[in-house]
Amino acid sequence: MKSGTYISGIGHGFFILWALFGGFFLSTEKPVPLQATDVSLITMAEFAALTPPDVPPVVQFDDPQPVEATPEDTAPEVAPTPDEPPVLPVPDEVAAPELDVSPPEPEVAPEPPVEDEEQPVIPTPPVLETPPVIAEPDEVATPAPAPRVAPEPAAAPEPDTEVAETETPPVAPDETAETISEETPATAPQEAATEIVTEAETPASAAPVRSMRPTARPARPDPVVAQDPTPPSDAVADAVAEAVASTTPSPPARPTGPPLTGGEKEGLRVAVQKCWNVGSLSSEAISTTVVVAVAMGRDGRPDTGSIKMLSFSGGSDGAAGQAFAAARRAIIRCGAKGYDLPVEKYSQWQDIEMTFNPEKMRIK
Amino acid sequence: MKLNSKAILIAAAVFLSACTNNGGFGAGGTGAGGAGGTGDVSDPTTVAYFQQSIGDRVLFLVDQHTLTTEATKILNEQAVWLMNNGEFSAVVEGHADEQGTSAYNLALSGRRANSAIEYLVSRGVSPARLKSLPLGKERPIAICSEEACYSQNRRAVTVVAAAGLS
Amino acid sequence: MRLIKSVTLALVCLCAAQIATAQNGPLRIEITEGVIEPLPVAVPDFIAENPAAQDVAVNIARVIASDLSGTGLFREIPHDAFISQITSFSSPVQYSDWKAINAQALVSGAVSVASDGRMTVKFRVFDVFSDTPLGDGLQFGGTTGSWRRIAHKVADVVYSRITGEGGYFDSRVVFVSESGPKNKRLKRLAVMDYDGANLQYLTDASAIVLAPRFSPAGDRVLYTSYETGFPRVNILNVGTVKRRALDVQAEALTFAPRFGPDGNTVVLSLSQGGNTDIYKTTVNGGDLQRLTSTPAIETAPGFSPDGKRIVFESDRSGTQQLYVMGANGGEATRISFGKGRYGTPVWSPRGDLIAFTKQANGRFHIGVMRTDGSEERLLTASFLDEGPTWSPNGRVIMFTRESKGAAGARALYSVDITGRNLRRVSTEGAASDPAWSPLLK
Repeated sequence: MKSGTYISGIGHGFFILWALFGGFFLSTEKPVPLQATDVSLITMAEFAALTPPDVPPVVQFDDPQPVEATPEDTAPEVAPTPDEPPVLPVPDEVAAPELDVSPPEPEVAPEPPVEDEEQPVIPTPPVLETPPVIAEPDEVATPAPAPRVAPEPAAAPEPDTEVAETETPPVAPDETAETISEETPATAPQEAATEIVTEAETPASAAPVRSMRPTARPARPDPVVAQDPTPPSDAVADAVAEAVASTTPSPPARPTGPPLTGGEKEGLRVAVQKCWNVGSLSSEAISTTVVVAVAMGRDGRPDTGSIKMLSFSGGSDGAAGQAFAAARRAIIRCGAKGYDLPVEKYSQWQDIEMTFNPEKMRIK
Repeated sequence: MKLNSKAILIAAAVFLSACTNNGGFGAGGTGAGGAGGTGDVSDPTTVAYFQQSIGDRVLFLVDQHTLTTEATKILNEQAVWLMNNGEFSAVVEGHADEQGTSAYNLALSGRRANSAIEYLVSRGVSPARLKSLPLGKERPIAICSEEACYSQNRRAVTVVAAAGLS
Repeated sequence: MRLIKSVTLALVCLCAAQIATAQNGPLRIEITEGVIEPLPVAVPDFIAENPAAQDVAVNIARVIASDLSGTGLFREIPHDAFISQITSFSSPVQYSDWKAINAQALVSGAVSVASDGRMTVKFRVFDVFSDTPLGDGLQFGGTTGSWRRIAHKVADVVYSRITGEGGYFDSRVVFVSESGPKNKRLKRLAVMDYDGANLQYLTDASAIVLAPRFSPAGDRVLYTSYETGFPRVNILNVGTVKRRALDVQAEALTFAPRFGPDGNTVVLSLSQGGNTDIYKTTVNGGDLQRLTSTPAIETAPGFSPDGKRIVFESDRSGTQQLYVMGANGGEATRISFGKGRYGTPVWSPRGDLIAFTKQANGRFHIGVMRTDGSEERLLTASFLDEGPTWSPNGRVIMFTRESKGAAGARALYSVDITGRNLRRVSTEGAASDPAWSPLLK
C-alpha cells in the first residue's frame, strides 16, 4: 500500500517535471522553415561554352596544387566520344550558371506556426506514446507474385541452378562414356508468372491460386535433315543446279536452301521474346509496335550495327524510340551466343525483319 | 433489487467513463461543468447525471444515421434535461466506425450528429443551443477491429457545457 | 529425251525464280510475347574529382541506385560483380565488361566540390548492349547540402531516358504523422522527400489534422484541421509554415479540399445540417459556388488535370459510387458500376486514369479505372487501404494502409499502376493521408 503511494508520488513528480520542463525537449519539434535547395541544370555543352577552353571545366577549388592536366581531364571532357551526338539542351530544366543562386538564407520565420489570430501556443502534450504497431500486409501467408512475368510460367529454380534463358537438364558425369563429359550445372528458367499477379488477385487464404509448375515446353523442332552432301548426279539435278545458279545473283558460295520451316521460325521467335523485356517501358511505349531490321552473321549472331527501326505505329517518336531500344536489346542479348538457325539456309535468314507488337503484354 | 442493480450499473458506468474520458472528444471544452468534475450522479442538474443516468450517447447501425427506438428514448430524456437546465448548451459529436473511407465517414458522422440534433429540436430544445461536431473515425471509443467495438463507435454523443459554446 | 530435259529445265527455272523471289525479301517474324522483369542496371560509385567530393560521390550513386531499384522497373547489379571499374569519367566505357555481367544500362558520373561548398555533378547513361551512350552527358550544380536533390534529379533523367516517361524522384510527400493509441491519436502535418528523407513537421499535434493536398506548384497545402474545435479547411505555406483558415462561410464545416490546376480554385466538401455537398471556392475563400445539391453524401472531389471536370463520390444511388461532372457542377455521370463501394477518386496527372478506394467483401482495395469507368483494375487488397495519391508521372500510387486490431496503426505504401512492386514507404512513425507533390522545379 505504502509503496504504491511512493510509486504514484514519484510518477506524478516526473509527470509534473515533464509538464514544466518538457517543453525544452519538445521545442526542437516545432516546425522549422523548410530549407529550399536550389538546383540548376546545364548541359555539358553549355558548361563547356561557358568555360575557357584551356581551363578544366570544373569549378575551381582551393587545392593549391595545379589541377592535373592529363589530356582526358581537360576540355574534351564534355564531349568525349566522337560518335556521341551533339549535346542538346534540355529546355525545361536548363538554367544559366549565373542564375544558379545559393539557397536563400532561411527566412526569419515566426518560430511557432501561429497566425495573427491569437492562438495559444500549445506545447505538444506530454502524452506517453505507445509505439505504434506498423501495419504489415496482413496476408503474409500468400505467396508473393513472381517478380518476373514471362510467356511460360516457371517455378522458382532450385537453389543450385543458375538462371538461364534456356532450360538444360543437369548432366551427370557419365561413367560409361569413354570421354567423360564435364558436369554441367543445371539451369532453369527464372521463376516467372504468366501475368502480373496483383495483391488484389491473390486470395486471402494461404493457398496459391495457381501453382507455378512449368508447363510442357513447346517441342523444339527437330533440325531439318541436312541436304545430302552428294546428291545423285542425274540430268534433272544438274539442270536444277544450273538453273538455280543462273537465277541467283548472289555469289555461288552462299549456301541456299528451302525457306525456314514453321518450327525454325518459331524457335527464333521464342528465342528473341525471352529477352524482350517490356517491364521498364512507359505506358505509351508499351502501346507502340516497332518493326526492326537486323542483318545476321552466318554464326547466327546479329550484326549490332545493322539494327534499325523500319517503322512504328501506335505511339509518338519518343515512345517508338524506347520501344525500339527494348527490341534492340532483346535481339542483341539473346543473340549474343548466336541464334539456333540452320546455317544451310543462311540466305533465308541473312536479313530479318522483326515486328515487336506489345499489345498482348500491355494487358498483362 | 432493482435499485441495487441500477446502482451497480451506475457504478460501472462511472468507472467506464473515468477510463474513457467521458467519451467526449474534448475539443471546445471538455464538456465538464467546471473544474470540480461533473458533479453528483444523483443530482439531476449535474452533467454527471446527464452522462450516466440519462446517457449521453445514442448508437447507430452500420452506415445508417436514422435513430433507433432505443436512441429516441435516450434523446427524449436528454431533451427534457436540456429544457430543465437552460444554462447548458451542447455539442453533439458524430462518430463512425473504422470501416469506411475517411471523408465519407466524416460526412456520415455529421449526418448522425444532425439526426440527434434534429430530434432534440423536435422535442423543444432551441437549435441555438446545439452544435454539430463530425469526427468521422478519428476518435473511436472502443479500439478493437470487431463488430463488438464498431457498434460502440457508431455513435452520437451529446456533450453538455454550462459555459456556453466557445 | 531432249524435249523432256528442256521442259524440266523450264519448270525448274520457274521454281528457281520463285525461290529467288522468296530470298529477296528478309525473313519476317512477329514477336508478341515478351517478359516483364526489372532491367539490370549498373551504378558504380561516382568519381570524386577532388578529395572534398569523396563521400558525396558515393552517396549520390547510392541514392540514384536506390531510386531506380525502388521503382521495381530496375534491378541494381551488385558492385562485387563488376568486371571493370569506372576510373575516369571521360575514358571510354568497356561495353563488353558490362555486357558480361548483363548490365543493360550503366550510369557513370563524377562529382567535384569547390571550396565555397558548391558542387558539380556530371553523369552519363549508357545502353550497354547497343554500345552507345543513351542521350548526352548532363551536369547539375548546387550546394553540397542539396546532394540528395541532385541525386534524385540525376535518377529522374536516367529513368526517363530508359523508360521514356518522366521521373518522380525529385518530389515530396505531405502526410499526417501519427502517434499514440488508436482512440487518442495525435496527428501532425509533415512533409518529406518521396523516399522518406528530410522529414519536417508543419504543425504541432494539438489538433486533429486530415488529408493534406499540395498545390500544383507544391508551395502550399490545403488540409482539414480541428484547431477551432470543428473541422475547417486550412491553407498552409510550406516555405514559411504560416497557415490560415479558408473562410468560406462562418460556422460552416468544411473538409476534403483539393486545389484546381490553376492553383487558385479550391473544391471541397461543406457540411450543413448533416448534409454534405461539394462546393467550389478560391484560396481566399471567395466566390463560394455550390456544385451538388442532393441530400446524399457528396465528397472527395478532385479536378481533372485540364480543370474541366470534377470527379467525386456520392451515395445518391444508395451506396458510395464515383461520378464525374463539369467544373461548374450540373449533371453528373456515374462511372463506377462494380460490386462494392467506391470512394476517394483521384485523377491521374496524365489524365487517363482515376485511382480510387474500393470496399468489397470486407476488404479494401486501391484500384484504377479509365475516366469513363472502364477497365477497372484492383492493385491491392488488405484489411484497410485508402486514399490513393499519384506520383508526378502518373506511374505510381501511394496510399494509407491500416493494420487490424486494437494495436492497429497506419503506414504509407506505394504500388506501381501495373499492380507490381507493392512496398512500404519508410516513415519515422505511423503515417496516413499521403499527397504527392509535383516534380520540384
